[in-house]
Parts: sequence; structure tokens; C-alpha cells
Amino acid sequence: MMSSNKNEQTVAAAAGFDQPLLLTYTQDIKGFLLKHLGRIVLFVLTCTSVLAVFLIFLFVILEAFPFLNRFSIVEFLTSTAWYPSAHERPEFGTLALIVGSIYVTATALVFSVPIGVLAAVFLSDMISYEIRGIVKSIIEILAAIPSVAYGFFAVLVLAPWLQKHFGFPTGTNALNASLLLSIMALPTIISVAEDSISATGRELREASYALGATRVETMFKVVIPAAHSGIIAAIVLGMMRAIGETMVVWMASGNANQVPHPWWDLSQSVRTMTATIAGDMGETEKGSDHYRALFAIGLLLLVMTFMLNTVSEYFLTRAKKSMGKS
Amino acid sequence: MKASGRVILDKVFTVITGLSVILLIIVLLVILGPMLWRGLSAVAFKGTVEFRKMQLAEFAQGDESAVHIETAKAETAQKTVYEMIDRFKNGVDFEKLADRAKDIYRDFGEELQRKGLPREEYTELRSLSRKIRNELAAAFSSRDIGEINEHIEYVLKYSSDVRFKGTVAIQFFQMANNYKDAAAKIDLEKRDEYASELAELEEIIKGLFGPHPEEDSPALAQFRYGATRWDQAQNLLYKLRLKEKWVEQEPGQPLVKIALSRAELFAGTELKGLFGFVEKNLDKMLLPRWTFYWRYFVDDSTPGHYFGGIGPEILGTLMLTLLSMIFVVPFGVISAAYLAECARDNLIIRIIRMCINTLAGVPSIVFGLFGLAFFVLFFLPLFGAPSKPCILAGSLTLAVLTLPVMIRSSEEAIRAVPQTYKEASLALGASGFRTFMTVTLPAALPGILTGVILSLSRVAGETAPILFTAGIAVGPVPKSIFQTTRTLSYGSWDMAVADKLAAQVPHNQYGMVVALVLLILCLNALAIILRSRVFKRLKGQ
Amino acid sequence: MLSSIVPVSKEKSGKLALLHGVKEKSVVKPMKKTKPVQECACPVVEARNFSFYYGTKMGIKDITMKIQPCAVTAIIGPSGCGKSTFLRSINRINDLIPNIRVEGEMFVNNQDIYVKQINLVNLRQQVGMVFQKPNPFPKSIFDNVAYGSKLQGIKKRGDLQEIVEESLKAAALWDEVKDDLRKSALSLSGGQQQRLCIARALATKPSVLLMDEPCSALDPISTGKIEDLIDNLKKDYTIVIVTHNMQQAARVSDQTAFFCLGELIEYDTTTIIFERPNKKQTEDYVTGRFG
Repeated sequence: MMSSNKNEQTVAAAAGFDQPLLLTYTQDIKGFLLKHLGRIVLFVLTCTSVLAVFLIFLFVILEAFPFLNRFSIVEFLTSTAWYPSAHERPEFGTLALIVGSIYVTATALVFSVPIGVLAAVFLSDMISYEIRGIVKSIIEILAAIPSVAYGFFAVLVLAPWLQKHFGFPTGTNALNASLLLSIMALPTIISVAEDSISATGRELREASYALGATRVETMFKVVIPAAHSGIIAAIVLGMMRAIGETMVVWMASGNANQVPHPWWDLSQSVRTMTATIAGDMGETEKGSDHYRALFAIGLLLLVMTFMLNTVSEYFLTRAKKSMGKS
Repeated sequence: MKASGRVILDKVFTVITGLSVILLIIVLLVILGPMLWRGLSAVAFKGTVEFRKMQLAEFAQGDESAVHIETAKAETAQKTVYEMIDRFKNGVDFEKLADRAKDIYRDFGEELQRKGLPREEYTELRSLSRKIRNELAAAFSSRDIGEINEHIEYVLKYSSDVRFKGTVAIQFFQMANNYKDAAAKIDLEKRDEYASELAELEEIIKGLFGPHPEEDSPALAQFRYGATRWDQAQNLLYKLRLKEKWVEQEPGQPLVKIALSRAELFAGTELKGLFGFVEKNLDKMLLPRWTFYWRYFVDDSTPGHYFGGIGPEILGTLMLTLLSMIFVVPFGVISAAYLAECARDNLIIRIIRMCINTLAGVPSIVFGLFGLAFFVLFFLPLFGAPSKPCILAGSLTLAVLTLPVMIRSSEEAIRAVPQTYKEASLALGASGFRTFMTVTLPAALPGILTGVILSLSRVAGETAPILFTAGIAVGPVPKSIFQTTRTLSYGSWDMAVADKLAAQVPHNQYGMVVALVLLILCLNALAIILRSRVFKRLKGQ
Repeated sequence: MLSSIVPVSKEKSGKLALLHGVKEKSVVKPMKKTKPVQECACPVVEARNFSFYYGTKMGIKDITMKIQPCAVTAIIGPSGCGKSTFLRSINRINDLIPNIRVEGEMFVNNQDIYVKQINLVNLRQQVGMVFQKPNPFPKSIFDNVAYGSKLQGIKKRGDLQEIVEESLKAAALWDEVKDDLRKSALSLSGGQQQRLCIARALATKPSVLLMDEPCSALDPISTGKIEDLIDNLKKDYTIVIVTHNMQQAARVSDQTAFFCLGELIEYDTTTIIFERPNKKQTEDYVTGRFG
């Protein structure tokens, strides 16, 4: 019954059980201190993220506050007159800018939400595993391309093309910016939506198929309703991406401080909040009203994206909870 | 709905969703394809002798003797063109001819003085030469061939005069003869037009061959050389052959662009044959050759971005990104380690996670504002550094920007390490810390590395945060981290929008943005490969 | 009842009633005699009214048993009955789980290990563990086995090499890997990996070896090798083995404990448990009426 390697087998002799099982007092204290000190140090280092957020809000508010104090906030938010360099009475109305940001974002979503959700459905349900990997890689490539490259494309390739084929007065307009923004928001929407659609699991779909439903019906009547929180979160995240984007809109939107009139005419140039900050900052002197007004716009952006973030977090938690139940 | 209807709808739907993905792929190709193609031409193109001259003179690159030989060859081929132009000019540029006549008169006067002739003779010769000069001037400015010939004949009467032999005045008669020949050939009515057309023509020739061999070298490097690339030369050739004009074809309608043949404009003159000649022999005049300009990634560019490469931009991008990685990786990995290993699900941890998510959502331009307000204006002065934009401020800003990415991917990597490794290590008597350092962290390292690479690629592409904190469009190569720098991202923006000259060198524009895109794509590909290997390895376990 | 399972032949002992399908060689194995306690240097592991709770859920309740030193003790029972929980309480590896609660005492060498000043490092180096699924580190074979020794402060190359060789030989793996110890441990087969884990556990020279279903993920040949190994080791080690496989328990162990629903039903020598169990529950289980 011994194996054939009997001759080469040597049994390791157990040491005597001689190590103490109790810590000495010093060992105990040392261990305690080390463990807790270590934890505290790690905790403090982890809190850099909290510190960073705090500092960002603090410094943006600090720089913007003198401006908000002196000028009427109502006028800031509701007037379209943005003349910061006027000598006698500079005006800082940002309504046109806010409308500009919302305008290009909304138009971008009109393009990207249908395509994004459809693509997410396709990815999660309709193709084999290997092709899925390839398509996901393509989407990752789309997401990785830097915004300045998209802006480059918008100005040097798309703008002349739009001008030539549609006869617009200028190729850098709301349409141009919206198209590029939708391309940039797509990867975010697709990946988050696809995650939540896949998370609904096989059981739900199998139950539906077993009752005789087609793929379409299963998708629209069972899966998407089940994943709706996640899809909404995806859209909100896409919105966040679009509204916070700077380089593309700066290069492609035309930077005309106007509310588009009529509202459906996409061939007009608009200006967004982000582009205003980026464009004006180089020409303002530090500490001037104009400079502080730009920080006020930055604060507005910060608040908007923070709210959108909270909304998306809410929907994501809802999505997780509903998955947990099923 | 009938069952068959439902099935059809099903199939239609499948097709539509498939189309959406195909649309994505098309969009990707449409965006990347032309850019990559044009950007590639910054590195691989047909370069002319002008390019090699420029490389030698501005960058001290290339074989001096070979370049000299080539230059001589090219100049020989170009000589014909210059001669044709000169001959034409003799008949057309009457102002210059008149000026030259004045010069000759003055030089002759000086010569006479030096000769020390008796006063009467001197005055007579002087007034005679003056008369000749005036006749010539009249001939030059006249439009009527009869008048011209009259004046010329008057002048040529004195060509055999002994008193003018061997003096400067001979040139009067040479000019008269040349002019007679030229005037016979050209259409005198169009002489004024010719002047402006000739000026245009000479500009284009200058663009093709560089300044006239006998002219001084211009101050701006941009004008010292002709067409350095064959495609540039082809564009100029097109402009040479055809003149584009906006005309109103129908009243009240927008102007239409039409192309006129320049050869027709110069019909009946010396220059008619110039265009065909240049077209046929351009390759002999410019000696194009396939060039692989790998030094594009190393050379500086002068002036502005007209010639040269993107070396400083690449250096700037590398410095900025690597420095920001040095700042963010320790904080990111340690935070991830804490969150993955020590954190329990209480309020404080939830606040921390919320802050990480908030950081991830802050727009990049707001990071730029933060970087300006905090790092440049507050933080740096605290340590005695000048409160100016610099690489240090830029990389600190970028580090904060990419902190959430780093934390998330590191935490994922650490959590992916199977619990059993931890158990085995603890069962052998290792402490929690020891276990983490010797087992968990090494196992999570490929995943963490993937996160580092992804952060790197994100940071390399960011422009908005460095607009006010580190980036400039034109400037010297930085020697310390307390200076600003050019970067690929900032430079791409600048070349596309701000730099006026850049439109003339599209290959440099595209080259810069393509270098950036390729760098980022390579980093991402590396991360994808690394991630799949990690996945396989952990699955294999 | 026992005879209905397999025809019992007169020559073979009662143990065979359950051993249909077992290899020939194990059948001929004579009965083991347990070593007298006084000759053994191993500590006594003793549980007194020991209970373990996962939050509010009970894991094991009121266990009182004394593990014999220098012998093999098997713990058997249906799934979820607390066998692994008990085993993992002996080296306190359960501490990894949040929200646990312990009642009663667990003594190792007359020291209750559930006190605040317990030296976990020393405890775990002297009470080694082998897990159900082989879990070698993603390092080389050498580094895996040397891991524990390095923790003990042994730094010199020569010493480490000696210990690694000794442990691998003891785990019956030396011949198969001696040519290339630098190879990754993950490139070994399942059975080899488990033996590697045993070697790794042996390298710290523990006195007690806890084995949590060590062969459940392995093929029969590897299982046989490991059972032989256990046989060799028990002269000098106290071995506690949790197993689903009753035949295995019968083959290797001297003492057997039967757990059910978190309670210790019966604990006695292996022969008694398998041939003449005192409790009906035990009999029902070992005859396969439930499980």
C-alpha cells in the first residue's frame, strides 16, 4: 500500500509545539498600534478624493463669490446679454450660453439615445460571444479617441463638407457640434445600457420565449422594462458627458452668443458654457470681473453635473435593487 | 397581430439593431480613416530637392555634397524658366526698364566726369545721353508699336557713334534692341494686365522653386525654400496652369468659381510655352523622391509649424503624463487597497465612494479652472514657486482628474484576486498586511497596470485642463517642470483653429493629431491585450 | 440491515460491508493502532461547549470533543452540518468572515485560542491547513513552498532550499517537480497542486494539520496518493480531516466524529462508528439512509 516512491519519501518531522500562543504585552500593544495606525494612514490617504472634491468646490466658489455678490444672480441666469469687455457697463448674462449647452446636448441625445439603446440591445442579445468582444473593442476605441481629435475632425473635415453639401453659411454650427457630441456620448450610453440589459439575466427572457413571444416582443415588453432604471442612468450619464464637453463644442459650434431662432434651425451657431470658459479665459486678467464671471459659469456647470450625477446614481441603485430581487 | 406579422417585425428589428452597430463602425472609419491617411503623409511623402535643402540648412540633416549636386542639377533645369521670364519682362516691365535707363544715364555721366573731357564735349554728350534716355522712356511707356519703333530708331541712330563705344552707354542700345524684339511680339494693349499677371506668376514660381538664385535669402525661413513636398508642388502647378476667378455668371445669383488657363492669358507672348514646359519638366526641376521622414517625431518645428516635426510636442505630452502618473498611482492604489480590503459598509465609506463618483463627473474645463485657482495661484506659491502655469501644475491637475479612473480600476483588480489566496496566506501565519503585499498585490498587478495604461491614455488626450495650467502653442522646449510646454493635444487644437499658417501645411496639422490618436490607440490596445491575458490567467486558475 | 448492502464474506471484517468498489490494496489494510498519547509531541486540541454563529445564524452548537494527538480524526456528516466551520475554528481562519460570534472555548495545548491576546501568527504556523480546492499562489513552485518559511524568518537560500526539498518529498511531489522548481505552480495538475499545498503547509513544521475535504476536487489516483501521504504523516502529526466520503474516512482515520445540523452526534473510534454506532442517527447516516 505504500506508493512506489517509498524509498525517496521522507516524512517531515513535526517540530515540537513550542511557540507561545499568547502575545506578550509589548507584542500586543505593538500589533494593535501598527494595525490601527496603518488603518488610519490608509484611511487618510483614501480621503484625498474627498479632499479633492471639497477643494474643487471651495476654490471655484471662492473665485466666483465676489462676482456673485456684486452682480445680480437673476440677471446672470436670465439675460442673454454677454458683453464682459464693455467699458461702461459690462453685462454678464449667461442665458444664451446655458441655452446653447442644453440645445446641443438635447440634440445630441436625440441622435445618440435611439442608436445607443438599439446597439445595446443588439450587443446583449443578438450576437455571439466572439463578435461581441470585437464590437465592444470598437466601442472602446470610439470612447478612447480624445475630444480634441473629434474637434479637429469637426472643424477641418465635417464643417467644409456641411457647408458644401447643405449650403449653410458656416459649417461650424449647432448641427456639427451635436453630431460630434452624440458620437462621444454613444459609448457611455451603450456600455451602461448593455450592462443593465445583460444583468436582467436569462431566466426572464427564457420565461418570455417559453410563452411564445418573439425576440422583439421579449425585448420591448419584458427586458427593457426590467432594465429601465439602468437605461435611464445610461442616458443621464451620456447627458453628463455631453454637457461637460469642452474642446469639441469650442471648435465646432461656431461660438455665436445667441439663442437659436427659430429653435429648430440647427444650422445656426451657438455658444456653450464650456466653450465660453475655455475661450474667454486667455484674454481676461486674473481677478477681474470677467475672470470671476467665468468661474461663476464654472460653478454653474459643477452644480449641474453634480445634480445629474446624483440622478444617475439614484437610477443605478434602483437598477441594482431590482436585479437583486429577480 | 398575426403570427407571421410578428415574425416579420422580429426580423426587421434584428436588422435595425444590426444597422445601428454597423453605423457605429462606419462612423469610426469615416472619422479615423481620412485623418490617419492624411496624417501618414506627414511622415511618408515624396520630398523634393527643396526639402533636402531645407533639412540641411535648418536642421543640419543630410548629406551636404549630395544636396549641393542636386541643387545644381535642379537650378540648371530651372534656368530655362527664368530666362523665359526675363525675356518677357524686358518687353513688359517698362517701369523697371525706365529705371534702368535712368541708371545707365547716371553711370554714363559719372564715367564722363572721370574721363575728364573738355567742358563742351561733356555737356554735349551729357545732353545727348539724356535725350536717348528720354526717348527710351517714351518708347517704354508707349502703347503704339509705330511710336515705339520711331523712338527706338532714333536711339539706335547713335548706336554706331564713336563717342559711346566702350562706355556704359552701350547698354542703352542693347536695351533698345531687346525692347524692339520684345515689343514686336507682345500685345501692347495688354501691357498693364501683363504686369499684374506676371507678378502673380512670379509669386507662384517663387513658391515652386524658392527665391530667384540671384536674390538675397529672405529673412523668414518660410520663404527661403520652394515647394518641399511633391503634393505641394502639384498644387502650385495647378495654380500655375489655371487661374481661378469668381465671376457672376447670372445676375443676382451667387458668384461661381471658374478656371482660366494662364497660357491663354499670355497668348502670343514669350511666356505661352512656359506652362507646358514647366508641367513636362517639373520633376527634373524639383527632383522628387520618396522620403520617410521618421525624424518628424523628433525634430522641432520652424517657424511656427511650417517646417519640421513634432518632437517638442511629444516630449511635452510625455512629461506631463508621466509626471501626473507619478502623483496619481500611489494615491489611487492605496485608496483602492483600503476600499477593497479594510472598508466596511458604513456611512463614511459611502461618502468616500460618492466623492469618487463626483470627481469622475466633473467636466474637464472645471478641472482647468480648479487647476488655475488652486494649483497655479495658491498651491505653488505656498512652496515658493512662481504662480505661473507650468508642467507641475498641469500634471497635478491631470492627476486629480484621473484619480477616480485609477481607484476604480485598481479596486476592481484587487477584488478580482480570489479570496482563496488570502485564506491560504493567512492560514500559513501571514499578517493581513503581509498577505496583501506578497500575495494580493502581485496578483492584482496586471490589472492595476491596465488601469495605469488607461489613465495614461486618458491624460494624454486631455486638452481643457491644461489650457490654463500648462499648455502653450508656441514656445521653447521646456527645461524644467516649472515651465510651460507644448503638447500634442494643445498643438492639435492650435493647428486646427488658431494657427493661421497651419492651413498651408495640412500634412503637419493632420500629422500632429494623428500622432496623438495613434499614441492613445496603442495604449488602449496594450491595455486590452493585458486585460485579456489577466482574465485568462485568473480563469485558468 | 448491514448485510443487505453487500454480501459479507466471512474472512473479511465488518468494515468491508461498506467498501464495495474500493481498491484492492486498501481492503487488505490492517487495523491501525493509535499511538499512546505520552509519546507524542503534538498539542491536544480540545473543544469545550464550543459554539459558532454567523451573525444570528448558528453554525455549530455546543461542541465538546478532544482531538487525539498523533492520530487521524475524521469529521463526517451531511452538507451544511458544520464540519468545515468547526475545522476552520481551530486555526481561526473563520475570522475573515464579518459578523461572527463565538461561545465556549477552544483549547490548543491548554490555551483557549479565542482570547484577545492570542498570537494568531504562531497559532497558524503551528496549526496548518489544506483547503478543499487547491489554492497555490500564482508564484513558482519554490516560492509557494518557501512562503511559510520566509514568514518564519528563514532567509538563507540554502536553508530554504533544504526545507522546500524536505516538504516536497514529504508531500510525495518531489520527483515530479524537482527538475524545475521555477515553474509556475498553476501549471501543475489538480492533484499535484493539492500536494503542493500540502507541502506548503508542511514547510512551517506545524504539529496539527487541518484538512478540509482535501480530495474532493481530485481524481482517484491523486486521492490515493494523498491518503497514503496522510498515513505516513500521522506518526508525527495530529491530523483532522473533514470529508464527505465515508469510505475515505473509514480508510484513513483512527477516530471519527459525526456532525449533523451543527451538533456533534457521536465521536468515537472509527471501527465503532462504522460497525457498531451507538446513536441511531449515526447508523442511519453511515448506512446511507440519509445524506
